[in-house]
Amino acid sequence: MANNTTNIQRRSVLKKAISVSTLALVATSGLILPRTLLAHWPNEAFTAETMEDALLALLGEAEVVDSSVVKFKVGSPPSYAVNGASVPIEIHSDLANIERIAILVEKNPFPLAMSLDFTSVMKLPFKTMIKIGEDSDVIAVIRADGKLYKTTRFVEVDIGGCA
Amino acid sequence: MGLVAQDRLRAKLKAGDTTVRVLLSHPMHTGRAKDENGELIPAQFIQDIRCWRNKEEVLTIKCGTATSRNPYFSFVLTGGAVDDIILIRWVDNLGAKGKVETKVQ
Repeated sequence: MANNTTNIQRRSVLKKAISVSTLALVATSGLILPRTLLAHWPNEAFTAETMEDALLALLGEAEVVDSSVVKFKVGSPPSYAVNGASVPIEIHSDLANIERIAILVEKNPFPLAMSLDFTSVMKLPFKTMIKIGEDSDVIAVIRADGKLYKTTRFVEVDIGGCA
Repeated sequence: MGLVAQDRLRAKLKAGDTTVRVLLSHPMHTGRAKDENGELIPAQFIQDIRCWRNKEEVLTIKCGTATSRNPYFSFVLTGGAVDDIILIRWVDNLGAKGKVETKVQ
């Protein structure tokens, strides 16, 4: 009997030792690291299926100003794109204290395309390429000084690019 | 993915400001496209891109699936000097990571 219990104890100790050592291995090998990094990705905003939800999740509630202080170019030539898989976009503005910029495509399955977190040393213009599924409004929203500046451009797409 | 092409990064001092251009090498699968056998290609896309200048974090870009294949970005940093170090790191939804570094010219 005594022999039996010590055996069981020895097994559980062995088990614990093994699980602890494997955990340590996994932790040090960096396999866990990406998950902690990804925790900062705003999943709710990027998987929102309407523009309003995405904006609310990303930028919060604030006064929205439809504004011409944001210069915003989509497509080349403007408002037209042959290939929806890579549509050039350029955002330019002289606004100060920009905190965040969001780029949305209204008719994409998930409207939010990109979100930029600015610091004080960042300056516009910002250029990039995005995918656009079909003819749609493309919206740039800039959050600066607690206000949202919104600019909309309609773009025609020949070949949809959301595959 | 096979052999991965290199990420490219250029930074240039122009009229007192630093212009940074970066071209990452990534397939950016949205999870909606089908391969030649008609099966869905699982989503794989860059989610988080961060940029440092001389160890100071200057920009964070969060991407959804609507970012183009081989993503391209261009932006401007105020000030700067020749030989500043610009560092960019990215991570995708499966945990693949990349890092590219250059000096301002």
